[in-house]
Amino acid sequence: MTGAGYMELLKLVAPESIMVLTVLGVLAADLWGLRGEELPFRRSMGAIISCSGCAGAIGWMLVAPQQANFAEGILVVDPLTQLVKVALLVLTVCAILITVDTDFTPHTGEYFALILLAAVGMMFLVSSEDILMIFISLELTSLSLYILTAFNKRQAKSAEAALKYFLFGGMAAAFTLFGLSLLYGFSGSTSLGGIADAIKGPRLDPLLVAAIVMTLIGFGFKVAAVPFHLWAPDVYEGAPAPSAAFIASGSKVAGLVVLAKVVMIGFKGAEGSAAWHGYLPGWVPVLAVLAGASMVVGNLAAIAQTSVRRLLAYSAIAHAGYMLLGVLGHDGQSLAALIYYVITYALTTLGAFGVVAVVQERVGGDRLSDFAGLSRRAPFLSFCMLVFMLSLAGIPPLAGFFGKFYVFAAALNSDPKNLGLLWLVIVALGMSAVSLYYYLRVLKQIYVAEPAADAIPVRASVLSRVVLALLSLAVVVLGCAPNLLIDKLVQAIRLAGF
Amino acid sequence: MDWIVQKLWLIPALPLVAAGLSALLKQRQRRLAAALAIGAMVLALALSCMAFVSALQHPGQGSVVRQGVNFFWFQFGDPRNSDAAVWLGWVLDPLTAVMLVMVTLVGLLIFIYSLGYMAHDDNFTRFFCFLSLFAAGMLGVLIANSLLLLFICWELVGLTSYLLIGFWYHKPSAAAAAKKAFITTRIGDLALLLGMVWLYSQTGTLLFYDGGHGCLEQSALARLVAQTTTLGMAASTGIALLIFCGAIGKSGQVPLHVWLPDAMEGPTPVSALIHAATMVAAGVFLVARVYPLMAAGDGGGGAVAAALQVVAWVGAITAVFAASIAAAQTDIKRILAYSTVSQLGFMMRGLGTGGVAVGMFHLITHACFKALLFLGTGSVIHGCHEEQDIRRMGGLRQFMPITFATYAVGMLALSGFPLVFSGFWSKDEILHSAHGWSVSHWPFYLGVFGALLTAFYMTRQVCYVFFGSLRSRRREEDLIPLPGSTETKSEPTHVGCYDVHESPAVMTWPLVGLALLAILLGFVGTPAWPWFQDFLNGERAVLAPGKLAEPATLWLMALSSVVVISGMGLGWWLYGRKPQTDPGALDVLERARPDIYALLRRKYFVDEVYDATVIRFNSWWARSCDWWDDWVWNGAVQLVSYAVVGLSWLNRVFDEYVVNLGFDRGCRGLTEGGGLMSRLQGGGVQGYLRVIGVALGVLVLLLLWGCHAS
Repeated sequence: MTGAGYMELLKLVAPESIMVLTVLGVLAADLWGLRGEELPFRRSMGAIISCSGCAGAIGWMLVAPQQANFAEGILVVDPLTQLVKVALLVLTVCAILITVDTDFTPHTGEYFALILLAAVGMMFLVSSEDILMIFISLELTSLSLYILTAFNKRQAKSAEAALKYFLFGGMAAAFTLFGLSLLYGFSGSTSLGGIADAIKGPRLDPLLVAAIVMTLIGFGFKVAAVPFHLWAPDVYEGAPAPSAAFIASGSKVAGLVVLAKVVMIGFKGAEGSAAWHGYLPGWVPVLAVLAGASMVVGNLAAIAQTSVRRLLAYSAIAHAGYMLLGVLGHDGQSLAALIYYVITYALTTLGAFGVVAVVQERVGGDRLSDFAGLSRRAPFLSFCMLVFMLSLAGIPPLAGFFGKFYVFAAALNSDPKNLGLLWLVIVALGMSAVSLYYYLRVLKQIYVAEPAADAIPVRASVLSRVVLALLSLAVVVLGCAPNLLIDKLVQAIRLAGF
Repeated sequence: MDWIVQKLWLIPALPLVAAGLSALLKQRQRRLAAALAIGAMVLALALSCMAFVSALQHPGQGSVVRQGVNFFWFQFGDPRNSDAAVWLGWVLDPLTAVMLVMVTLVGLLIFIYSLGYMAHDDNFTRFFCFLSLFAAGMLGVLIANSLLLLFICWELVGLTSYLLIGFWYHKPSAAAAAKKAFITTRIGDLALLLGMVWLYSQTGTLLFYDGGHGCLEQSALARLVAQTTTLGMAASTGIALLIFCGAIGKSGQVPLHVWLPDAMEGPTPVSALIHAATMVAAGVFLVARVYPLMAAGDGGGGAVAAALQVVAWVGAITAVFAASIAAAQTDIKRILAYSTVSQLGFMMRGLGTGGVAVGMFHLITHACFKALLFLGTGSVIHGCHEEQDIRRMGGLRQFMPITFATYAVGMLALSGFPLVFSGFWSKDEILHSAHGWSVSHWPFYLGVFGALLTAFYMTRQVCYVFFGSLRSRRREEDLIPLPGSTETKSEPTHVGCYDVHESPAVMTWPLVGLALLAILLGFVGTPAWPWFQDFLNGERAVLAPGKLAEPATLWLMALSSVVVISGMGLGWWLYGRKPQTDPGALDVLERARPDIYALLRRKYFVDEVYDATVIRFNSWWARSCDWWDDWVWNGAVQLVSYAVVGLSWLNRVFDEYVVNLGFDRGCRGLTEGGGLMSRLQGGGVQGYLRVIGVALGVLVLLLLWGCHAS
């Protein structure tokens, strides 16, 4: 590789480089400059540095959009990846801002550094079409997130959740690595395009079947699809609220986008079919099974929850099922629907976790009963929660409704002649109706139930209010005018060549 | 086209604006209200005179010149179909021009007169508001070139008539009379509406004249005549008869005349303006306006159109019928009311037998002298402190010389006293045409008899009121109502006519003006110089004194004079020779033939007959409808409601015990399923990891099974 090649690479990875420099900056500032300061001040300073780093990266991508495919897919930079990266960075900023008001660790510099590192991992994850690079990014992300989960050292729950997450994630990564190595052995190529060329054929080799399933396990773990979801409730409940929010939002976005890329590019030609009477082996039936199981298990299990965080975890599992519908469509339209869904969902769930974080910080728990009568104790927070919950339930005109609508429509349109995925869409619609029940249970606690006699008003800081207000505004605006995002996505996807 | 034709709409619009403005005034802004109303009327009169001059400047050469403006009002249905458009418009022809001048002039005089008459009324402002509104409606009727516009204004006039009859609504009799007038005329209006709809469905237009496309023009009429309906009647006849029903209601013709005498409960200026001079003549005007339709089907060979025959007969019967009733009334205004009905009958007969000009000439002259008589009556009533019973008057000529003189002129004109008075000439014309009518001579005989009766009852009234000695109430016992008196109004505050006085100048000057008109108007329509008739017919008038000397004319004039003079002589012989002195004494006629007198006094028992038939039937019908409503329909409704309640009860049971239970069970199932699902989450990480392995195995097997299956 020549010097010019490195210069070009540096330019292409400038956003990620900015982020890495910010990681170092945050660590250095906290280590030397802020050691003796008050904790809130350190948190604020760390957040300011981190956010400015993110802002710098976003600014770079907006100011200098690029399009390049470096070394056969090692690094792919195009409008689509940049758009997803901007979304990831926005989510990162929101997670960081939520952190400012929580008080669970004195190691603020490390915490911010890990969030940023996870973000870097996600950014690489979505911009690579090479299995080696994908695996490395996946591990960077996962390892950062394990630590983030364990960051509340005062609580055993946090450590327990992190350990489960780590063991589960390690196992899943091992399967994936095994699958990827089989794929490499099968095709002699690490790029997704090369793999696709090799596996094209009328029949699936049994070894290839094992490779596909094993590969999918790791990504199924990442997006928390049943039966690889078991870590999620524990992590969502036990992790510090900002970590949980980031895992639920950023990790989900990156995981789904990379999953979609792997199956749509790498397994091209091995789709198979999940049609009701037209079953053909391939990755589609595998994901269809995962999607159906996720929707059923996630929604039903959410009904039984009493912890709002666990409820959100099962809701996330259920949403992973809906999102997999978008992957199953495997065309440009369904990819646009998927990304719209995943971004709006991430914003919504981030907001919901933000509200939970504030309430948990002030009230001390995240039981449903802790939310009783919240509308009288914190009208603004309650209203934001109303917007988020209704959007998650898919009530028009909020973003959640259009997300579901586009995804379902895309799943049906992918095979318009015989509506092969109709059964799955029917399951999804039925389960959406069930989901309304538990979302409304939260809202009922907030708006209908009487507050406890000794309940005190819940006060959120100005920063939290602003963040939550912006998030709910985004949910409403993207719901009322979905074209703002959809048009850009469709354009970017057309440029990316799907 | 003249400026005035373009702006003809201003004539009704001015009083309308005045009415609208005075409706906003406060009760005490009396001067302003009167000024608005009279000012608008003066302007309307000026414009009407311009319109008249314009009509004069376009003399017809054997046919009537009509100038008008039609405008598009709105469209319904398919916009490309021009038939579904509603057009309105106005027209200026001699008929309109003459009527405009008459209505504005008489109206103005009566407005001025009302200043004095209503001076002490609290609701002076409201009165002028209503009067202006009436004038607007009436003038709208006159200029309308569309049956629809005419109908709208016609209803407006009916409404103001109702409002003004019931002006003193605190009097039960006035309220009842207003209601009676409104409902009775409504019967006729319903027929008019039906006729209008029929006409529209047949011709597709309601414009009278529209450059050959109007419903009164040749092509439409020919179509209507050709169309035969039930009983072999031409559509034109059916429509004409329906429209004539409207005229019957408005003009108080038999059998819908009953409201007009009762309408005298309103203030006297109202009686004069609306119920004598103008509104009741609207029916006659309507017939004159749609005369081509009435006369359509007037097949060759001198056959008279069926509709016109009906008009003539109704008019002839009404004339005698009402005149005979008038001979036995004692209320000064009621006598005039029946006289009005009778005279309207004369006009209808004139229209039916002789055409537009004959009827209209009598309408114009009658408007003047009847307004004069009513205003004179008002002056008498005013002077006698609201006394209306002629038996309590007498000898008033000494106290009220101007009133007496003008009233005498009006009375002579109405009676048709030979040569000088307008009534003579106009009535003579009608008798002449009735005499020449080809269908029957009976209208002529009835007319002669009616003329005799007219002269008789007017003489009787004048003798009672102005001659003899004063028979006013002086003693307390006189407060007891006279036998047979129909008065129900509250007693005046100060009783007695010993301070009877002449009315103020504001009331007497209009009297003088109208008296002059009552004399002079006759000379524009004499047989020697039939200017009026020729003007209406669009011909050039020729002075031909020789016509007076023609044997037929001369013979008829002589007969008419003899009849009138004998009628007056009879009246004088019975009432003037030996004036009554006691208000309680029996009438001369009553002494002679009590049975006939009672029959006439009770108006041939028409009201009673209506009470016994129509009204009783109506009440019975209402009661039976009520009964049906209560027991049958209500029962059915109740039954339905019970059925619905029963069904909803069933539904509830089904809901509660089937659907809800099922739903609850479903929900419980879901919840339990949820519990089961969450129990999968054992918490042991070893179990979690095992799941991955199992899942791998299951998924791989799934795909492999598929591979082998395919």
